Order: sequence, then structure tokens, then C-alpha cells
Amino acid sequence: MTRPFQKIMRCTTVLLIFMVSVVSVEAQVLRRGIGPEPDSLHIHQAQGLSAIHLLRETREGLLTFDAQGEPVAGVAQSWKVSDDGLTWTFILREDARWSNGDAVTAAHFVAGWRRAVDPQSQARTANLLSPVEGAQQVMSGEQDPESLGISALDPQTVQVRLQRATPWFEEILAHPVTYPMHELGSEDARQAPVNGAFFISDTTPHAQISLRPNPYFHSRDSLALDAVELYPIEDPSAELSRYRAGELHITETIPPGRFEWLADHHGDALRVSPYLGSFWLGINLSRAPFRDNPDLRRALSLAIDRDVLVRVITGAGELPAWGIVPPGLGGSHWTFDFMGNADQRAIEARRLFKNAGFSRNNAPRIELRYNSSGQHRRMAVAVAAMWKQVLGVATTLINEEWKVFVNNRRQRVLTEVFRGGWIADYADPASFLDLFRSDEPLNWSAYANPDFDELMEQSTKLAGVERDIALMKAERLLMSDMPVIPLYYYVSRHLVAPGVKGFVDNVRDIHLSRYLDIETEAQ
Amino acid sequence: MMHEHGILRHAAQRLLGVLPTMLLLITVVFFLVRVAPGGPFDSEKALPPEIQANLEAKYHLDEPLIQQYFRYLGQILVLDFGPSFQYKDWTVNELIAEGFPVSLTVGGLAMVLAFLVGTMIGITAAMKQNTPVDYSTMGFAMLGISIPNFVVAPLLILVFAVYAGWLPAGGWDWSVQRMVLPVITLALPMIAYVARLTRGSMIEVLHSNFIRTARAKGLPEKTVIRRHALKPAMLPVISFMGPATAGLITGSVVIERIYAIPGLGSYFVTGALNRDYTLVMGVVIFYGLLIILLNFIVDLLYAWLNPKIRYDEEY
Repeated sequence: MTRPFQKIMRCTTVLLIFMVSVVSVEAQVLRRGIGPEPDSLHIHQAQGLSAIHLLRETREGLLTFDAQGEPVAGVAQSWKVSDDGLTWTFILREDARWSNGDAVTAAHFVAGWRRAVDPQSQARTANLLSPVEGAQQVMSGEQDPESLGISALDPQTVQVRLQRATPWFEEILAHPVTYPMHELGSEDARQAPVNGAFFISDTTPHAQISLRPNPYFHSRDSLALDAVELYPIEDPSAELSRYRAGELHITETIPPGRFEWLADHHGDALRVSPYLGSFWLGINLSRAPFRDNPDLRRALSLAIDRDVLVRVITGAGELPAWGIVPPGLGGSHWTFDFMGNADQRAIEARRLFKNAGFSRNNAPRIELRYNSSGQHRRMAVAVAAMWKQVLGVATTLINEEWKVFVNNRRQRVLTEVFRGGWIADYADPASFLDLFRSDEPLNWSAYANPDFDELMEQSTKLAGVERDIALMKAERLLMSDMPVIPLYYYVSRHLVAPGVKGFVDNVRDIHLSRYLDIETEAQ
Repeated sequence: MMHEHGILRHAAQRLLGVLPTMLLLITVVFFLVRVAPGGPFDSEKALPPEIQANLEAKYHLDEPLIQQYFRYLGQILVLDFGPSFQYKDWTVNELIAEGFPVSLTVGGLAMVLAFLVGTMIGITAAMKQNTPVDYSTMGFAMLGISIPNFVVAPLLILVFAVYAGWLPAGGWDWSVQRMVLPVITLALPMIAYVARLTRGSMIEVLHSNFIRTARAKGLPEKTVIRRHALKPAMLPVISFMGPATAGLITGSVVIERIYAIPGLGSYFVTGALNRDYTLVMGVVIFYGLLIILLNFIVDLLYAWLNPKIRYDEEY
């Protein structure tokens, strides 16, 4: 090759590389894992977390979430709450638009809410609307959907009437079940216009969901990203591989058992943060020997060393739990009368065990039931070992497939001690404590204490600190009755590539892509 | 020659046999999935009873089982598998239509690869019987059979995607790069099986009289293999390939999970776990039809390869 020719080649190569890099700077594409395939894109059909997340990216309610995961104005630009907390009046943004250009009006909210509670249209999460006036009656078929407490005063004004003051109602207003519904979207969710920051431009089930900015979105100018690619990946190990190969910026979770390795090798990307969830072992109070025997239940609880569980079994920064309301929700973090260290707790456990009428030679045999999963099995084995060691209790481990397990747990006939736990629908202590009201269908322990019900009922009439105190009292009472043995509080776990900006850890684990950005090096 | 007519008659007989087989399959699966405890709407957070009742009415789950069964048979006749319970925006037909081309591509390529490489290795080993070449290739084949693909796949990902960065770690967009690793993973144990089968039957054929005759006529070894030994030696391989292909092209759960491939395989498992009755029925019926079809093709190939089993009346 001649020298001038080589020079030209070199220049062209440099130019090409430059052009390629300019192109990649221009296209800001964020790639996120979202866990399992979303079960539906319909605001009334979606149940799974991944579907709810996807709906939050593509749609917006009266309220939405900010980058810190707190409820803020969405389609509503402002709202007023009456002094009794029962009447909420929302003024809608004038620039709120659907992705086909139509205006989002008050009528769209009324239509959506009525359809959500209509038993004919089967909204899976309709229960969240139960604080609204008339919702219970409509859902049970006693009244027409038109009697629901929502009305359009004019195209820009929505008024909602509540049955009772609901401190967490703002958060419900940002949940997909309360989103507005366009006439074109009532049945076929895949063709429906959306009103959020992004719309779905392409989707391959179980592989990829492509989001592009919605040109009609009211805050379109604030979006930093040109596209978001969402990848449904069921297997956390597969997700981790794709992150390590540079194919993902954000993962939905991390594989169990890899926490330490990730902390060592991807410490700058690992994000672990308290989450709205508690893990506990439930006790079926309708069965011997647990019925009318709180000392036995307390002894079983004290015999379990939570510090060992969270260090050895879960090992991703989970917090040992002595109550059921996670920290960060205004609950009291420890609610058990007796703490001390592990040895002292073991002595106290044996004392209570004796009080309950048992001894090492006369120990009950206990069934511990859990749904099939490696982590739950390890947890059950560890708990059984601790019970054996401290109290001499022999445990039968029963492992059931998910659908069988949830059925047995609900029926409260077969179960003795079972895997329980809860991930809150809204960030409020009541989301956890309401589970133990005596008339609650999700009260798998069959716990019934009139004093507890009374405290919970009182709390609904209170606000602020007084309400917090009533809820704290309720939790203390619950923990002294011990229908469940709390083990640990959940954490959210993500890998977030160091170049991603705007990702703020928060207790709701909500990270809308509209607030995220990527530094060019991370592309 | 009567045998062409014979094949047709045989084909017609086989096709007639499909109906009772499929009916049996549908019946067994229909009642089995419903006997399993729990239902499609059971989840941690119970639905309000009125909504649960309406959902059951919508999917006709409130009818007596036998009525549901005949309703389902009626649907099957017009090839309508109904809506999926779990993936509510999709019908089972759509899910199969989206997933099958993916599984067919990955499985089909793996099958072709396995057939080509496997027979080549097998023939080579057979020709060099009891030499180091034979031992090493068969040792390799044994290894291929015994290492499960959930071990091979993460290893391949680690080496080629994470460390070398040559190939993507998973996902699907119909690009060749994303097919390489899953196809190889899926093909490896198949290559091993095919190689062992080919070697075994090739050695047997090479010791038979008609090969001795061919050699005695002075034909070069290449011609002996290609013209005379290959066809009969392929018989056991072909009968293995039929059902194996049905298995491969309907997707592998393990491969799909590890490489995040949107194929059919994972529906067999997630469908059953979610009590997604319609999805389970859909994929099982589809799979059943494929197996029957492929076995049928194998039969025809057999007849073509082996003059001893021409299906004519004289035989």
C-alpha cells in the first residue's frame, strides 16, 4: 500500500469511529430487567409487580411518584381535601394528553373507576378502592357502578368522596387501578392509548418491551432518555449474566447467595435498601397446641436467632425483625417485651416453654409448612434446628407447590406453623396491621382479639401522632399475642450501572425511568 | 411395484390412528390439570368473592366439569385454544404463534448441527474403530451426554459473553449472535447421542455380508461407505431423531430460562405452576400433534432407507 493511501484509510477510520461515537451519544437507551413477564397491560387486569411497574412507566393517575418514590401531582395539577378528609377535589392539568393526542378529562377517571369496581369487569386490585364511598356495595353487586363516589364536576375537575378518612389515599391515587381509561382502552390493552411518559412501541412476549417517549406527555421536555428497553427475565442468574456482559443497566434483583460476591466485585453497582415487606412465620391459632397458649408461641419465637438467619440464610442486608411493620413506615421497630442477647433469649424461651406446659422430654411435634423454593427450605431447616437445639421441639418440614400452599394457608385447616409475610400495597403501617383484624380474609392465623380490632378501628378516626400511637399499641398487642413469629424485614436489591443517574433508593422501590439518565460512558 | 401404494395405505392407517390418540391425550390432560389442587385465580391476595365468581363464569369454570370438557372439545375442533389465564392480554394461539417459531429455529438449528457433526464423528470413530481417534471422540461424546446443559450453559455464557464479550449473554431478537450459544448448548448432548448411535450401527453394517461383497468388488472405501453403508447405518439414528426433534423444537425449559429465550418450553412448566389450564392444554396438544407428525415422517424415511420394511402387501 502506498503511504498517501494509508493516510486516507487512517483518516477515514478515525472519522468513522467519531461518527459512530456521536451516534451513540445521541441515542440514550436505558436497558432494564423487570423480573417475570408482565401478566397484563390492562390497568384492571394487572396484578404482578412487573406489570404494575410497566403501567407506571406508560400511564399516569391523578397522582404519580417522584424520583424519591413519594406521591406527587400527576394528571391532577392541584387538589383540595375537605376538613373531614372525606371529599377530595382535583383540578386536572390542561396539557394532559393521551398518546393519540386526545385530552385526558375527568370523564376518563370516572369511567375507569366505575369499571374497576364493577364486578362484571373483574378488576383484580379493586379492593384498593374500598375506601371510596359506595365501593364495597358496588363490588358486592348491591349497587350500580354509577353510585360510586366519584364525579366529573366539569371536564377539568374530579371529585371523590370517601367512606372514611384514609391516610394512604394519595398513594392509591398513583396506583394503576385508579388510572384514567380511554374509551379505546377498555378491552384491548395492547391497542389502548396511554397517558404516561412512555408508550410501548414494540413487544415480544417473554423477551423485550420497547418504550419510546410519548410525544404528548405533559413533561416530555424533562425526559433525558430516547428509549427504554425492558427485558422480562425470570431467572435472576440469567439477569446477572446479562448485566455482567454489559447488556443491562439496571437489574430487577440479584440471585440468592451472591450478595457477598457482588459486594466484592460490583460494590459500586449494588443497591440494597429497606423495602415495604416483612417475612414471618404464621401460626394457626385454631389448632392445638397453639390455641390459647401464647407462652408456647412466644417461646418458639424467642428460640429463633434472627441475626443468624439474616446473616447466613438470606444474607443480602435484611434486617432482623421483632415486629411486623417495617422500619421507615412509622411503626415501632421492636415490639417484643423481652430482648436481651441470643443466650438470654434462649433461657427466657425455655422458661416460657415450661410455663406453657412442655419440657425437653415432653415437647410437641410441629409441622412447618412452606412453598417450594431453595431459600424457604433453607430458612425452614435453620428454624427447625434452632427449635430442636433450644427447646427440644421436633419439626416436620412440609414443602408444597405455590398454589397448593396458598390454598392450604387460606383454609386454615391443615396448617400449623407456616411461611407468611407481606409486601405492602401502600406505605402505611395499616397495610400490615389490617391483616390481623378478626374479619380479614387474609388473616391466615385466625387471630381474633377484640382489643386489637378496637385499636385498629380507633386509629381510623385519628390522624397524625395520635394515629401513630394507636397503631404502635396495636402492633405491641399483636406481638404479645404472637399469632405470627416475625423473622426479618425485606430489602430491595438491584444492580445499577455506575453511569446511571437519578436512581434513588426508596422504601417503595419505585424508580420511574422518566427521572433516569445515563452518562455517555455507560452506554 | 406396489410399495408406493403401500406407503399411502400405511399413511392413511396411521392418520386414522391419530384421532383416538389425541382424544385420549386431551382427555387425560384436561382432567389431570383440573384435579391438581388450586386454581388459576388463587394467589396470595385473595380476590373478592364476587369478582372471583364473575371470573369463573367468564371462563366457564363454574360449569360442571363434563360440560367444560365437551365445550373444550368443541373449541379444539376449530383450533381455538382460548385465552391464557396468566397472560391475560394474549390468547393461547397467539402465545404459541409467538413462541413456536423461536423454539423451532433454536431446536431446528441444534438438530441440524447435531445430525451433521454427530454422524461425522460417529462415522470417523467407526472407521477407526479401537484406535486413539475412536476412544477420544467417544470419550468426548460420553462427556457431552453426562454434563447437563444447566452446567454447560452458564459456563459458555461466562466464557463467551462475560469474559470474552464476543456474544450476548441472552435474550432474543432473531439475530445470529443470540442464537449461537443456545444452539450449541442444545446440540452438544444430541451430538454425543447421534455420534454413539452412528458409530454403533456403522460398525455393525461394516461387518455385514453386503459390505464385504462391495469391498470384494474392489470399490474404494469412500464409495463403500457412501453408497452402501451410510443408508442402513442411519436407521437407528433416524428413529432416534424423530421424537428427539419434537422435543427440541418445542423448546427446552432450561435453555430458555438461562438464555432468556421466548420459546414454548417454559410454558409447559409455568403453565402448570400457574394452573393456566388453557395454556397447558394448548402446548400439550400442540406437542402431541408434533410428535405424531414427526414419528410419521420417520416412518416414511425408514421405508425409504430400508428396503426390508416397504409397506406393500407382498411383504
